[in-house]
Amino acid sequence: MVIKTDRSYDRRTFLKLAGATAAIAACGGAATAPSAAPTASTAASAAATAKPVTGTLSVYSALNESTNNDFFAAFKKAYPGVTINVLPLAAAGELQTRIETEKASPKADIFIGGSSEFHDPLGKEGLLEQYNSPNAKDIDPKFKDANGYWVGWYTGIFGFISNNSRLSEVPGKPATWDDLLDPKWKGKLILPDPVKTGGGYIFMATQIFRFNKDEAKAMDFMKKIHANIAQYVPTSPGALTLIDQGQFVGCPNWAHDILTEKSKNNPIDLNIPTDTGFEVGAISIIKGTKSLDAAKALVDWSLTKEAGDLNVKLSNRGSTRADVAPAPGSPKLSDVKLVNYDRQWATDNKARILKLWQTTVGL
Amino acid sequence: MPDIHLRLDHVTKKFGETTAVDDVSFDVPRGSFATLLGPSGCGKTTTLRMIAGFYDPDAGDILVSGRRINDLPAHRRGTAMVFQDYALFPHMTVRDNVAYGLRVAGIAKDERERRVNETLEFVGLAKLGDRWPNQLSGGQQQRVAVGRALVLRPEVLLLDEPLSNLDAKLRVQLRWELRSLQQRLGMTFVYVTHDQDEALSLSDWIAVMNAGRVEQAGTPWEIYYHPKTSFLADFVGAVNLVPATVRDARGDDVTVAFGERSLTVRAPAGVALAAGTAVRLCVRPEALGLARHGASNTLPGTVARRAFLGDLMRYWVTVDGREWIVDQPDPGAGSPYDGEVSIEVRPERVHLIAES
Amino acid sequence: MRSLQREPGVLLALLAVIVLVAVFIVYPQVRVILTPGDTYVEFFTGGTWRNSLIHSLEVMALSTTTAVALGFVYAYAMVYTDMHWKPFFRLIGILPLLSPPFVVAASYVILFGPRGVITYGVFGQTISVFGLAGIWGVQTIAFFPFAYQLIADVLSRSDPRMEQAARNLGAGSWGVFRTVTLPLSRPGLGAAILTTAIYVLEDFGNPALIGGTFTVLPTQAYGLISGFGDLPGAAAVSTILLVLALVLYFAKVRLDGPRSFVTVSGRASSMPRPPVPAKVSWACFASCLALAGIITLVYGSLLVSALSVAFPGNPTPTLANFEYIFSGPNGTALQNTLVFGLTAAALSSLLALVAGWLTERGRWRGRRALDLLLIMPAAIPGLFFGIGYALAFNEPWLDWLDRGVLIIISMIFWNIPVGYQAAVSGLRQIDRSMDEAATSLGASSLRGFRDVLVPMLGGSIRVGFVTTFVRAVTTLSVVIFLFTSSSTVATIRIFQLVSDLNWGRATAFTVADIGLSIAALGIVAVLARGRIALGGARA
Repeated sequence: MVIKTDRSYDRRTFLKLAGATAAIAACGGAATAPSAAPTASTAASAAATAKPVTGTLSVYSALNESTNNDFFAAFKKAYPGVTINVLPLAAAGELQTRIETEKASPKADIFIGGSSEFHDPLGKEGLLEQYNSPNAKDIDPKFKDANGYWVGWYTGIFGFISNNSRLSEVPGKPATWDDLLDPKWKGKLILPDPVKTGGGYIFMATQIFRFNKDEAKAMDFMKKIHANIAQYVPTSPGALTLIDQGQFVGCPNWAHDILTEKSKNNPIDLNIPTDTGFEVGAISIIKGTKSLDAAKALVDWSLTKEAGDLNVKLSNRGSTRADVAPAPGSPKLSDVKLVNYDRQWATDNKARILKLWQTTVGL
Repeated sequence: MPDIHLRLDHVTKKFGETTAVDDVSFDVPRGSFATLLGPSGCGKTTTLRMIAGFYDPDAGDILVSGRRINDLPAHRRGTAMVFQDYALFPHMTVRDNVAYGLRVAGIAKDERERRVNETLEFVGLAKLGDRWPNQLSGGQQQRVAVGRALVLRPEVLLLDEPLSNLDAKLRVQLRWELRSLQQRLGMTFVYVTHDQDEALSLSDWIAVMNAGRVEQAGTPWEIYYHPKTSFLADFVGAVNLVPATVRDARGDDVTVAFGERSLTVRAPAGVALAAGTAVRLCVRPEALGLARHGASNTLPGTVARRAFLGDLMRYWVTVDGREWIVDQPDPGAGSPYDGEVSIEVRPERVHLIAES
Repeated sequence: MRSLQREPGVLLALLAVIVLVAVFIVYPQVRVILTPGDTYVEFFTGGTWRNSLIHSLEVMALSTTTAVALGFVYAYAMVYTDMHWKPFFRLIGILPLLSPPFVVAASYVILFGPRGVITYGVFGQTISVFGLAGIWGVQTIAFFPFAYQLIADVLSRSDPRMEQAARNLGAGSWGVFRTVTLPLSRPGLGAAILTTAIYVLEDFGNPALIGGTFTVLPTQAYGLISGFGDLPGAAAVSTILLVLALVLYFAKVRLDGPRSFVTVSGRASSMPRPPVPAKVSWACFASCLALAGIITLVYGSLLVSALSVAFPGNPTPTLANFEYIFSGPNGTALQNTLVFGLTAAALSSLLALVAGWLTERGRWRGRRALDLLLIMPAAIPGLFFGIGYALAFNEPWLDWLDRGVLIIISMIFWNIPVGYQAAVSGLRQIDRSMDEAATSLGASSLRGFRDVLVPMLGGSIRVGFVTTFVRAVTTLSVVIFLFTSSSTVATIRIFQLVSDLNWGRATAFTVADIGLSIAALGIVAVLARGRIALGGARA
C-alpha cells in the first residue's frame, strides 16, 4: 500500500468543508441538488486556484490516434500545470503485457483506453492503485471495478458492418447472430480474431451469455459460424478496411468504428443485431506512480461530461455517464437489446474459453 | 665453434594418432642456407611451421640465438615466411604488400618508403610497385612474397617450397637469385623442398627427412657422396646400390665380396664392420667409367639400354645379372657404346652403406 | 588454448564477445522463460500448438525452397551474367526487405484479394490470396532477398580459375555449374537456407494478415500475448521455435561437413569467368523481370495510395498525407528510425565479423556453443525478444539507461545471425595462408584480422549491415515493449495510423520510411566503397 501524502485528501476534506461552509453561509434552503454541483465546482475551482495540480504524466493510451491528440490537448487546457507524455499504442493487450513486464520499475502512470478486460487482471496482480474518484459516484456500478482499481468511462456497442454493393450476395443484414449461419455467407464473412482482439473475444463471450452460459451450445454456434468465416483478422480495425474495399461482405465489429468508416463515405452500413454485447473502456492508475495527484486529476477529468462529450465526438463511442448523448447514428446503450453480459465472469474465464474455442474449431 | 643461429632439440609433433615429427634435432649455423629435404608427408613442412610458430611442439625446444622461443607467439619470433602459394594480400598493391610488415612494426613513413624501394630494387621489381597482385606473373608474385619477408630483415627467413609452382626454367633462374640474395645479405635461410636438385645447388647444409625423422644432416657433398642409408642414397640423385658382404675389415680398409668379385674400399666413418656383415656398395653413375675393353679392376657387362639426356648419356649395363647405371659426360665427343663393355670402378669412389 | 594465452588481445576480444552474448542474448531469454511456469507444462499438454507446428513446418518447407531457389537465380543472374539493368534489379532485390509490417501485406490484399484491383479489377477473378497459398507467395517474395544477399556474396568471391579449369577439362556450361559452381557455393547456400528457413518460421506479419484461418507458431505466440497476456504460454511456443531452429542448425552443420571451400588463396588471378550461354542469360533476365514486375506493382500501389485521399475507393491525388507525416512526432519517429537503424547495423556487422573470426579461425573449446548462441536470435520471434529485454533491463537501477540505446542494443543482437553467418562463410573462403602471412610478417592475430581479413570481407560486412538495417527499421514486435515517446520509431507510427484506418497517411509514412532507408543505404554504400577497396580481387 502506498502511503498517501495528501493533497487529494485535503481537497476532499476541503470540499466537504467548503460545501458545509457554503451551505451554512447560504443561510436558509441552500442544499438542493442543483446547488450541490455548483458548490462542488466552485469548491473545485477554488481548490484549483488555491493549489494547482502539477506533475508529469506518462500515459499508456490505447485510444485511437485521432482521439489522442485532441483529448489530451483538452485535458491540458483544464490542467495547464500537468505535462503529458503519451505513449500511443492502439493494442490494449500489448499495453497490458508491457505494464506487467515493467512491474519491477514501472514506467507509466496511467493506463487509458482498452476494455476493462485488460485492466482487471492488472488490478488483481496488484499492479494498479486504488482510487475512487468523486466524479465516479454517479456512474452505474456495472461500469466500475468493485475494488476501485479501474473505472469505466466510455462504452462501445458491438454491431455489424456490411458492404452495400455486395449485400445482394447474402440474405441481407443480420437481425440476429444466428442469421450469419446461413450458407450464403460462406467465404464472405470475417471476424476479428477472438484470441488477439478484444472485440473478437467479446463477440464470443456474447454468444455464451446469449445461451445463458451454456458453453456447449455457444461453442456449437462458434463451430457452425467458423464454416462461413474466411478470415480471423488480427486487428478489429483491419477487418473494417477489408469490408470497405469489398474484399468481403460483412463482419461483426464495433459500432463506433463502423460509424467512423461510414462518415468517410465508404459504401458500408451499420446495424445492431439483437442480443449483442458491449465493452466498457477503462482508465486506471499504475502502482508506484510518482505523480499521483496528476494521475488522479486525469482520472477525474476523463469522468467529466466535457471529456465524455469530447470522446463521443472524436470516436463515436458512448459514455458511461448518463448525461452524455450518444453519437449521431448510434443508439443509446439503454435502447439496445443487450445480453446479460457478466463482465467479471467473462474476464475471469477468458483463457479457458479461448482454449475451448481453439480446440472446438481446430485451430 | 660455428655460431648456431637456430637449434631444434628433440622436437616432436603428433596429430592425433600420427606422429608427424619424431624426435628431431639439428643445428643451423648463422648466415647459412639450410634445407629440409624429403618426400611429401615426411614432416619437413610441419617442422618449418613449428619454427614459425604456427604449431606448438608436443615435446622439445626450439632456440634462436640460444633463446627458447617455444612460448613466443608466432608474430614475435623474428621469423618471416615465404609461402608456396605466395599469399599476397589481394587488396594491397605490390608496394603496400612489401611495406606491410614495416607498418606493423611502426617504422616511420620515410624510413619505410626507403626500405621498400630498396627491396623492390633488390628483387628486381622496381617498376611494378603500383601493380595489383593479380596483374603479375607467377614469378613476379613470388618475388613480391620474398621481398615482403626480406624487407623486415628477419632473424631467420623461412621458405616453404616457394618455387614449386613455377615452370622449370623460371625455377632455376629464381633459385640462383635466391641464393645470391642470401649470400649478399648473410641471412639465415631455412628452406623446405622435395626437389633434390634445388637442395643440392642452394644449400650450405641439408637435413633429409623421412617419416618424421632426420635420416641424415650435413653438407650437400656429404649427403650426396656419403649417404648413411639406402633411402638417402636413392632419394638424392641416381645411384647404384649393390648388395655385398664384408669379407675382411682391417683398420681403414674393408674388403667386400659381391657375386664372384671382390673389392677393397675405404671403411665408412664411425661404422664398425665385422666379417659377414651385409652391406651395399654405393656408387654414383658419373663416378663410373666405361670402356670397350676391360682392364684390371673392371667389370665386364652388356649394354641393356641407353638414354640421351643432353649433357650426358646414361647407360644401363647388365653385370652378373644386375643392372648398373653408368653416366658418360659429353656424349658428342665419341660414338655411343653398345654390346660388350667394361665398367671401370675406382675404389676411392665407392661408398659403403651398412644395411640395418 | 595455449595460443590464446599468448595473445591477450584475442583473449580479450573473446571474453568481450562471450560477455556480450551472455548479457544481451542469453540473459533476457532466460528471464522470460523463468516467469512462473506451471502454465508452461499446461500449455504443452494442452496440445493447441500441434496444429500451429504442422502449419509452420508446411510453410517453412514451401517458402524456404522457393525463396532460396529464387534467391539463387537472382544471385547467379547478378553475379555471373551480363544482364541489362542491373542497378534496377539491385534495388528490387532490396525493396522487399524494407517492408514495415502490415502495410505491404495489406497491399497484396488490395491488389490480389477477392476484390483485388488486379485479380478482380483487371482479370475478373475471385481467387483468394488468403490462406497457405497466399502466405507461400508473399513470403517467397518477402524473403528471397535474404537468400539472394548471402548467395551473391559467396558467388562473387568464387575463383573463376576453378570454373575455367573445369571448362578446360571438357565440362559444358551445365557441367561446370553442377560440378564446380554449385558445390563451391555450398557454404553460402547452406547459410542462405538456414537463415531463410528460420526467418520464415518466425515471420509474424505476413501470416497474420494473409493467413485467413491458417495459424502458425508466431501468430499463436502473438495471440497469447495480445489476447491472453500469457507470457509463459508464449515462452513455450518460442521454445518450440528455438528447438526447430536447433534442428535446422545441426542439419546444416552435418551437410557442410569438414570439406574445404577455400576459393581465395594467395594466388591472385585476373582471369575472367567463362561466359554464360545466351539462353541461360535470357532465362535469368526473364525471371528477374517477372519478379521485379510483381514487386513494382505492390510498391507502386503503395505510392499511389500515399498520394491519394483513399485508394482504391477514392483515388483523388493529394499531398496532404506526406505533409502530415513530416510533422510533429512523426518527424522524430523517422529520424529515430534512421539513427537507430544505422547505428545498430554498423555495430552489429562489426561485432558479427569479430565473432565470426573468433569461431571460424579460432581453435578453442566451446566454439560450437558460441556458434549456436550467435545464430539463435534468428529463431526467437521479435515479440519474445522484445519482452526479454523489457523484463531483463527494467530494473530500478537501470533507469538511467536511455530507451533509445536499449532499442539499438536489441537490434544489434536480434540481427546478428545474418552478419555472423556471412562472416563465417566469407572466412571459410579465404585460405589460412593469408592469416599466416600476416602473422609471419609480425602482425598479431587481431592486427592481421583488421588489416588483411576485414578488407577482404567487404561483401560479408555489407550483408550484415544491410540485413540488420532493414530488419531494424521494419520491426514492430521487438520495439513494441521498449519504445517511449522520445524513442518512438516509424513502425510504431505506422501501426497507429493503420489502427486508425488512415491508409493514406499510413502508406505515406511507409513510402517515406522506405525512401529514406534506400537513401541511407545508398550513402553508406558510396562511403564504404572508398574504405573497403578490394583492388583487383573483385570479380
